[in-house]
Amino acid sequence: MQDNQPTNTPIEVGDGASIPLKSDTGLFTAWRIAFFGSIVLCLFLAFGRPDRYMAIFKFVPEGIVITFEVTVGAILLAIVFGLIAGLGRISANRLINGVASLYVEVIRGIPLLVQLFYIYYALGRFVKIPAIMSAIIAMAFCYGAYMAEIFRAGIQSIHKGQMEAALSLGMSRRQAMRQVILPQAFKTVLPPIGNEFIALLKDSSLVSILAVSDLLRRGREYASETFDYFETYTVIALIYLILTLFFSKLVSIMEERLNDGC
Amino acid sequence: MKILRFLSVTALLSALLSVSAFAAPKSIKVATDATWPPMEMVNSNKQIVGYDIDFLNAVAKEAGVTVEFKNTAWDGIFAGLDSGQYDAIISSVTITEERKAKYDFTDVYTSIGQILVVPKTDKTSKTIADLKGKKVGSQIGTTATMEIKKVDGVDSKTYDEIGLAFEDMAAGRISGVVCDEPVAAHFALQKQEYKEKFKIVGKPFTKEGYGIVVKKGNKELVDLLNKGIKSVKAKKLDAKIHTKWVK
Repeated sequence: MQDNQPTNTPIEVGDGASIPLKSDTGLFTAWRIAFFGSIVLCLFLAFGRPDRYMAIFKFVPEGIVITFEVTVGAILLAIVFGLIAGLGRISANRLINGVASLYVEVIRGIPLLVQLFYIYYALGRFVKIPAIMSAIIAMAFCYGAYMAEIFRAGIQSIHKGQMEAALSLGMSRRQAMRQVILPQAFKTVLPPIGNEFIALLKDSSLVSILAVSDLLRRGREYASETFDYFETYTVIALIYLILTLFFSKLVSIMEERLNDGC
Repeated sequence: MKILRFLSVTALLSALLSVSAFAAPKSIKVATDATWPPMEMVNSNKQIVGYDIDFLNAVAKEAGVTVEFKNTAWDGIFAGLDSGQYDAIISSVTITEERKAKYDFTDVYTSIGQILVVPKTDKTSKTIADLKGKKVGSQIGTTATMEIKKVDGVDSKTYDEIGLAFEDMAAGRISGVVCDEPVAAHFALQKQEYKEKFKIVGKPFTKEGYGIVVKKGNKELVDLLNKGIKSVKAKKLDAKIHTKWVK
């Protein structure tokens, strides 16, 4: 069933860091230089200039944990939202289709920063949600809309004949979707989801406006008391860079494994 | 001929420029974080107003300069001074040793203290120490934040603007807010929706003086502003401004 299928159709969505494949030698080298370069620079700053930088490195680690929590929580929830909305977008039921499309259109039309304020402060008047939870929900709600489009595109990239074949074998539409279409679509959507994950990791810095002590907020707290703006933001930028490069590598390895598997 | 004309035009222009440079009063650019009512805020006409604004305008008048205000977010306000985006900051800045090490201040122009605001439902808390194990909010990088961090066991939450801290307390996410006393009074005693919800507890527990901040070594501007401050105080203009904004 897997033969003669265009399952590797690349879908270009999102603004994440490029995921380097081994075949792309230029980018692969750039990845190495940036990744190891920033690690070396961090070590150099921490141990070469401990008077200025060591304190920053000691101040921010809890922030990395929070950033990580927000990112992972939001991406998992966004995949759920995205899958539901994505299936809704290709649904033949006009009501479901309409609701899903409305969600995608409305959410994509509102800046993430505004959504964060909205979910945190506006909804905070009616329901009590802890700060981190509301940050995760807001991020997931926003990214779910983009994710929906990825899932929709991924499902539609599977050849029509697949569905027809499954139906002719006596499967129901639902069975066919779950057992035939989605497993194949998953492979197509994995790279863009990886991209979204990295974009989300970067965008998670926006939650620092919600008094969530993420990496950026820890840095801002440190800088606002010591006035070491340059030093602090250098460290913050380097840590974000190391994180995004590390995860982009992880995604590309996962993708390679998946390609080898078929 | 052409060269002559060019020369005469340039001479005329430079003469004009130098004349206007001397004739026009010196203008200074001053940053303020206008989210700190009643000291500095944006009114419904989108103008920056408040105690600090009126005070500095009075000082500038005495010193013979004009002021151009720039609304700037608090947690980058000192960085902007470093990079020369403005000449001074007047934004309820408490003179502290840490800040004095990096920047120069004018003389104290008004004194205030930090105070604690809690929800009315809290019948027992009187100090920050009574809120151990709970979250207490303040604006990022203020002397209030430093006071909260001094108390062990209290979870410090920092906000970009003090209004957001009060809003978060209204939503029940934090148990107290610490800020300058006039600001606390504005939010807890005057703002309609918060009046029923919040109360100020205890007395101001710090003694702090506000100063105008300039870049380290800018003695000329410090002297000019100090001269203006002296003159304003001698004429008792600051008392009038105080009654206008801080009742």
